[in-house]
This record gives sequence, C-alpha cells and structure tokens, in this order.
Amino acid sequence: MISLRSILAALTMLSLPLAAAGAAPAVNPPSVDVNGGATVVQQVDSAAALTGVTLVVRAGLDRQTMRENGLAALVAETIVRTPVSNPAQPLDDAIAARGGSIRFTVDPGDVRFYLESLAADAPAVLDMFRTALVAPSFAAETVRDAKTQLAREIAANQQVALNVGLDMLNAASSQQANAGLPELGTPASLAQLVPSDAASFYRAYYRRGGALVSAAGRLETLPPGTLSALGGSLPEGSTVAVTVHVARLGGSTHEIVAHRDISSPWLIAQYPAPVVSSRDFGPMLVLAAFLRRTISDIAQVPGVVSPTFASRSVGAVYVYDRVPASLVLYVNGGIIGNPSRAFATALSVVNVLAATRLQGSIEEFKAVAAGDFADDATTLETRTWLAAVFSRESASPDFINSGLASISATTAADVQRVARKYLGNPTIALVLPRGTNLQD
Amino acid sequence: MIRHAQVCAVAAFAAAWLLVGAAAAPPAMPQQMGALPRGGTYVIYPDLTVGSASIALWFRAPGAGYDNATPGIANLAATAAAVAPLASGRSLYALVHSLGGDLNVEVYPDIVGVATVVPAAAARRVVAAITAAYFAPILDDTAVKTARANAAVLGVQQRYEADTTLHDLLFRRIFAGGPAHYPPLPTTVSALTSVSTPQISDFAKHAFRSENAMLVMTGNVDPSSVAAVTDGAGTGRGDPPFDSPLAPNPAPTTATGAVGGIGLAWVGPPIADEKAATALDFVADYLFRDETGVVTRELDASASDALVIGQFITLHDPGVMVVTIGGDRESGVRDRVLAAIAAMQQPMNPQTFDGAREAFLYHVASDTQTPQERSDNLGWYGAEGNLSYAPGMLDGSYAESVRALDPAYVAGVVRRYLQAPVLVDLVAAATPQEPSQ
Repeated sequence: MISLRSILAALTMLSLPLAAAGAAPAVNPPSVDVNGGATVVQQVDSAAALTGVTLVVRAGLDRQTMRENGLAALVAETIVRTPVSNPAQPLDDAIAARGGSIRFTVDPGDVRFYLESLAADAPAVLDMFRTALVAPSFAAETVRDAKTQLAREIAANQQVALNVGLDMLNAASSQQANAGLPELGTPASLAQLVPSDAASFYRAYYRRGGALVSAAGRLETLPPGTLSALGGSLPEGSTVAVTVHVARLGGSTHEIVAHRDISSPWLIAQYPAPVVSSRDFGPMLVLAAFLRRTISDIAQVPGVVSPTFASRSVGAVYVYDRVPASLVLYVNGGIIGNPSRAFATALSVVNVLAATRLQGSIEEFKAVAAGDFADDATTLETRTWLAAVFSRESASPDFINSGLASISATTAADVQRVARKYLGNPTIALVLPRGTNLQD
Repeated sequence: MIRHAQVCAVAAFAAAWLLVGAAAAPPAMPQQMGALPRGGTYVIYPDLTVGSASIALWFRAPGAGYDNATPGIANLAATAAAVAPLASGRSLYALVHSLGGDLNVEVYPDIVGVATVVPAAAARRVVAAITAAYFAPILDDTAVKTARANAAVLGVQQRYEADTTLHDLLFRRIFAGGPAHYPPLPTTVSALTSVSTPQISDFAKHAFRSENAMLVMTGNVDPSSVAAVTDGAGTGRGDPPFDSPLAPNPAPTTATGAVGGIGLAWVGPPIADEKAATALDFVADYLFRDETGVVTRELDASASDALVIGQFITLHDPGVMVVTIGGDRESGVRDRVLAAIAAMQQPMNPQTFDGAREAFLYHVASDTQTPQERSDNLGWYGAEGNLSYAPGMLDGSYAESVRALDPAYVAGVVRRYLQAPVLVDLVAAATPQEPSQ
C-alpha cells in the first residue's frame, strides 16, 4: 500500500527533469472542406490497408424529449438494419459480407456512424450506407429487429459496472435532462416507441446542417466527390435541440448508488473538465496522466514490470470528446484488496493537487500525457473521430499536433490552476452487487 | 488465426532473419529492411500519420533454456534485462515510462519479444536504449529478483486465465519435448528460484546477442533511427528456429486448476506452407472470431455465458490450432465446436465463402492498424522464419494467400489437419492450486 505521505512527497518533488527527448516529428495535418453545408475532413494514410469514415449528424440525445428516451439510438439502429443490396440483407450484414463493418454511437448532441472497409471495397460500402441513410426502412419488421438488437446491447451494458456508473454520472452532470439520458434508452422506453416515432425523428433531425464527414486511411480509392456527396446526401436544413431544463442537485457532495448483477463493487468519481479549445486542455491532459499513474501505483504490486489485474482495475480518464467534458476516476473493488481505501486515497490526491503548491519538474508527466494522447489516436476510428471533434470545437482538425503542442506548453502553474479550477467536489457513483449496501 | 494479428512483405526477403547486407525497399513497398551496424537485422514499417512509434526487439530463444532444463529462464532473462540499470543509471523499463511509453516483455516457448510504444519524439532514444539493454545485458541479483517477483505475480494471475492455462497444458500434451513442451512463464516455486543469476545472465548474453536479433520499428519513426544502435558485437549468425518434437499419440487428459475449461488442439502446417496455414487462419476467423464468428454468434444468440477462443498459432514447424472453452455448459459447447469444424470438411457454399473470405481480409487489416499491432506481427513472423508472410502489410504474400483460397482447398486442409483433437479438461478445484500435469 502506498501511503498518502509518500504520494504527497511525490507531488512536491514530482520528478527530475528529463533530457530533451528530441523534436517531435510533425504529423501531416488533416485537410478540411466545407461543401454544401457539410464539413469534410480527410487524413490520407498511404500505409493503411483500410478506409475509415465517420459521419456525424446532429441527431443525438438532445433531440429527444424525455418521453422519447432511446429514440435517437432506435433510428440509428434502424438505418444499420435497413435492407440493402440484392438479394436484400440488413446493411450491417451486407457490409460485413463485403469486407467491412459499421457501428454507431449516440452522443449528447450527435449520432455518429463509423464505417470501415478494405480500401478497394470502400466505394461500394459507402454506397450501401448512403442508400440506407437517405431512405431507411421504417417497416415494422425492421424497427422490431432494431429494438431487439438494442435490447441485447442494453442488457450487455448493464453487466458492465463502469458503464452503469458513467450513465448515472452523465445524467447527473448534463445541463439538459434529455442529453443525459442513457445512450441506447432502456428496454421499457424502447417498448413505447413505434415505427412512426422513428420515422418522424428521422425526418426532423437527419439534416445536412452541422453534419460532418471525417475520413482517414487509403482515400485515393474513393471516386472524387464521394465524401462530400455523403455529407450532402441528407436534406438541407438545420435543427435545434429540445430544451429540457432540470434543477441542479443541491449540496456539496453527490453520491449515486445503483445495484446490478455484478460480482464486485465499483467506485467512480466524475469531475467537470475543459473542452479541447480551452487553454486548460493541455494542462488537464497532464493532470489526468499524473492521476492515472498515481492511482495505478496505488493499486500496483511494487516492483512488478508487467501490467497486472490490479493495475488495470483502476484508472483516470479525461473524456474530452463528450459534452460536457469530464474527468473520471474509477476503482474496481473486485481486484483491489481495499477499494474504499484506494478510492479515498485517489480522491485525497486530487484534493492535495488542488491545494498544494507544486514543486519540481512536471516534464515526466507531460511525457506520459503525450504518450497516452498519441497512442490513443492510432486506429482509423479514433483518428476520424478526434479530427471531427477538433474540427468542430477548435480552429483546426489537427488534433495530434495541437494536442501535443498544448501538452508541451503546459507549466506546473497551469496544472495547479486547472486542478484548483476543476477538481472541486466530484459526483460519485457506487455500483454495487445486488444484496449489498453501502455499509458492506 | 495467428496470435495477435498479421502482416506481409517482400518475397526476396522471405528468409530475412539472417540478412547481411542492407536492402532498400522499392518505393511502393512501405517496409525497409537491412542489417544493424553491429549485427542483427532491422525492419521498418513507417507511418508518418500517427503520433507514436513502436520499437521492438525479437529473438529466437528457447523458453526453457538451451538444454530445456530450466523452464522459465527466457522469461526471467528478458524481464531482468528490461529492469537492469543502463549506463545512465536508469533501466530501459524506467526510461520508456519516463518518456511516456509502455514496455511489454512477451515470452513464448521459442521466441522472445520486447516491445515498446512511445511518443514519436522518443523513438531514437528508445532504439539506443533497448539495444543497449539487450545486446550488452548486465544482470545483477537485484534485476533478477525483480524478474522473479514479476513472474510470480503473473503466475498467480495466469491460474485464473483458463485460456492461457489450457494453452500451456495442450502444448505439453502435443509436444514430447523441446521448448514448446514447457510453459514460458515459470509457474512453480522451484522454477522461480532454482535458476541462479549467473545462469540467467549467461542465457541473456547468448540469446540476446545482436546477431540473433531483429529490430522492428513501426509508426512515426525515421529510418535514420537505426544509426542510434551503438551496441552489439555480432559477427556471427543468429540461431535457427527452435522446433519441438511431437508426442506420438497424445491421449485426452484431465487437470485441475483455479478455473475450469476445455481445450482442444490440432497439429497444423508449418509457417512455410503459407496457403495451408492461411486456410486454418480463415477457418478460425470464420468460426470463432469475436462478434462475427459462426460459433460465436450462435452462442451469443443462445444467451450462453460460454467463451470460446479459437486461433491457428503460426509457428515455424508445426503450427497449432487451439480452441479453448470457458464459462458455462462447456461440454455442450465443445460438441458444438467439433460439429462446426466437422462441417468445414465439406466445401462451403461459394457465395458464403466469398463473403467470408472478404470479411477475413478485412479482419486481418483491421487487426493490424496500429504501430504496436504491426510491430507484433512483423516480429512474430520474422522470428518464426517467414517475415514476408507477416499479415496485414501492404503488398505482402499473406493477402495473396487469402485470395488464393477456395472452398475445396479449405475443406481439404480441414480434412487433413482438423481430425481428432488433443483434449484437455481443466476442472476447477475447490481451492486454487497449481494446474496438475
């Protein structure tokens, strides 16, 4: 067990300065075009065998009313299950048979589809997607199929304690009640939705305004204009969110408790965090890296080289690609011998960070932040998504160079300022096995 | 399929392990290969569109020692070399972490890989450090003590991993001797403590000598980083592959462990038989891939908690198809697995086959996107003796082998190799204990 005292000592000394690691090789930045209302971001990667395309549409959770919980996901899943090609089969099956994949994510403000395929198959795969996107099947059978699939995914998510906790925390931290609803809805809410609900939502919100296409990989196989045509395939027009205000929770500390069919308790803390365009972005990346290393050290067996169950059962994640951004700390109580103590230590470290003057160099944690940031952006999916996030929320889609530059420019004073500004009172979620309570 | 993923390369470089002269790749080929300044070889697969790089060293090294009398010695030596202080006073492990990277020591029965992923700006420095740590290892008792502690913790963890435990038990049944007969991780107290520091040091100096090494660099890395290698005194040749003799008629067996499961294994083709090996990769992908495999989807649809992992492990000679089953109703799932494999003895419907083959090509490419995935595949396939066959690389022979498959050929390979499996039934003991033999 690492004592709080030793962590305090680490905080005040941090680390010795490193010799310069060398200049970072510049990464070719993405290019951006705005065509007919849709933005197209491209990252050509000639070393890739694949083409990856993300389409972002302003049809996320905040376009739902509270009664329509799950409707954004139902529409997206209906598109994915829409019969295409000849002989007709659901879009995802047709794409898989063609050598590719499609999946979607529902965010507070957007729904995003990600398609990936061998470069040679990309034109056909995108063509199939466009066919389903512009004319989804809202036939009862297709919508029923989509509901079945969503129900299966919801059931699977409910077995993952971290997901359960994050759902609760996101609901608590959302400015708009509907934007904090569960991504996929609930089985009960989905059961209330009928095909005409899905068709109405689609007609209202699948519009070109605010749509963004982000592509990466082998793009030279795509006929000219393919990506802009995808963005332009939706009807013109923009939409606005449905406003559903909620009163903020009172009190200085917030705890949310849920029970699920899981084998061990999870403890999760969420803090507010800056968006990518903020001057606090780089410092928060450094702060998150420090916390990640620190709570991993708390859980780690001393002197062991390889990652262990224990070191993987704790973490700190800066969620900057979701609105509102947040910093999340978590502890899996099934692996850690004394999860309450580990969690309390982690929270104490956070408090100390906000209150204690930092001394020494932060270069090592800047290096860790840079390593984590760069290594988290190596698949085509993450690269297309991060380019989309940066394109929308900052002046440039060049996420890798600007992210690394913001880390490089971070000072110890910046880290201190950001810790003080954001790491106040967290909202805490406890996800417990059924039959247990807080006293256990 | 293989182990983690795959690659491809240049035919002229097929036996590149012992490459002597530098070979510049033609412009269309992303790989660059050549000889290290002081012995050994390198391969570079650059991708300047990402912000990280993977720097790895791979060696042919018998996990149980050159006389197969010290199980786990390769693991102890590789880990000790990573934590031993370099001339700067800091170990490779500490340096990589201080630069914002991660280091993994990957030890298999016949090969050792030491892989790092670091920010691109740190690549050159890590090239210098990793080659210094392994080409000129100075191992003391402190480093060996850390390596033992590391192995002890991993050994305890492994008891709760049915897949890894079954894998080791199956190999012990299939191979009568040689490195593949022994688990690469020392799991007994005697294996951990009976090998002395001088033995480990001697092993490291021989196994990790520069001429036995392949340096793999992928991601955002400059080819000039090779010049950062200043250690090594290699003028000789690398070791040949460490193959293991097969057991004549391995019988089914039952073992006890901390968790239960069933393991099935079949002896397959060598890595040199690219088409047959690829056919078994295809079969594993079609039946067992997560989310898309035929057997996997059936189990998902039945709300089963069973976990089936199936892969063809490409080795120098021979490869091995392994299927492990954990979770609930294992016997029923085993029968379903065997039925699915038996069905593959007949040629698939051509349309179904075409779709499955295209999906397989995609899966291979999807699994080899990142610098680390590419580095792992290049290192593995190079060490096993067929770098040009490493899957996932552009214009390599692996994709050609996939495209050459047809339903009749795949069925023929299944009939030839996937008949009666070696079977291990792992029974969960009431109290966790070491797996019996």
